[in-house]
Amino acid sequence: MEELNCETVFTLPVLGGISESVVVTWIIMAVLVIASIILVRNLKVENPGKVQLALEAGLGWAQDFFEGIIGKENRRYIPYLITVLLFLAASNTIAPLIGFKPPTKDLNVTAALAIMSMCLIEYSGIHRNGMKHWIKHFAQPVPVVAPIMILEVVIRPLSLCMRLFGNMLAGFVVMELIKTVVPLLVPIPVSFYFDIFDGLLQAYVFVFLTALFMNEEME
Amino acid sequence: MLQFNFNFVLEMINLIVLFLLLRHFLIGPVTNIMEKRKALIESGLKNAQDAQDDAMKMKKEYEEALNGAKQESVAIIEKARSQAKSEYDRIVGEAGEKAGSIIESAKESVRVGRENTMKELQSQIAGLAVASAAKIVGGKAEDQDVYAQFLKEVGETDEDTDR
Repeated sequence: MEELNCETVFTLPVLGGISESVVVTWIIMAVLVIASIILVRNLKVENPGKVQLALEAGLGWAQDFFEGIIGKENRRYIPYLITVLLFLAASNTIAPLIGFKPPTKDLNVTAALAIMSMCLIEYSGIHRNGMKHWIKHFAQPVPVVAPIMILEVVIRPLSLCMRLFGNMLAGFVVMELIKTVVPLLVPIPVSFYFDIFDGLLQAYVFVFLTALFMNEEME
Repeated sequence: MLQFNFNFVLEMINLIVLFLLLRHFLIGPVTNIMEKRKALIESGLKNAQDAQDDAMKMKKEYEEALNGAKQESVAIIEKARSQAKSEYDRIVGEAGEKAGSIIESAKESVRVGRENTMKELQSQIAGLAVASAAKIVGGKAEDQDVYAQFLKEVGETDEDTDR
């Protein structure tokens, strides 16, 4: 069971224990930033190379995808959603690729992501329609639903957080069990399903639902 | 495994930092390049459209100019033809007039010549008449043949003049 624990890597004097997931997040951040610096080095308007074309195709797909959900007039939120998508894709698939425990298996990470999403969802609604409209919309269509609407503010990020956490933890536990029982060959196809496929799917679902909630809030 | 602690704040800070870094290093430059390419393609298309419009306009102008040139050439030929015709008429008329005047002058000279001849003849006749009259007076009209001959001569000259 010690695999399930998030070990404290080191302890800072004021902040306290720094857990494993935070360190892995730092590593992922460093890898992502260095990779993007390397990939973005020689961008050309004319005659782009294969790497640049792949990069543009990927980012173009992501931008079109988010634009289709939250609309062209809310383009400013797209970079954050792409960041979350990249971070989740990297952290969910890091277990079979590099061997670290995925940070998303830690409740702190998914909670942080979900709270950021909640702030973004509510902020986008307030920014678009104003504070008054944001307060009023809790009483619509009838004032009776106001408690449910207020609960929804908390429920939406909670469901995001728990869905991601549950999926990743379950996948991790299943993978650990299989590795313990049959350490040879069998974990490979199973890992493709639980780590790669489920990891990418959960990353997609997380940003998709965040964008969907934002769109709902901005109406 | 379900502990919820201070690390979650660190994760939020991590996320914000990652967002800022990726926006600066990845999404910003790539989006910028894509926008630039889009602008380039749009301006290229617009330029092509403009060039085509210009070409069409020039073609129209040339066609108009060509049409004008055709009409002008027709007018020039027409004008030259009419000028040539009037010149021809003038030359022919002048030639006719000249010929007429030449004939006139020829006639005149003939007439003058005849008049001169007649005058000469008359003076000769007058001389003859005087001579014959002197003869008659001197010779008492001895010869009838002289009269007859004289008369005959006179008559012949008269007939000549009348002709």
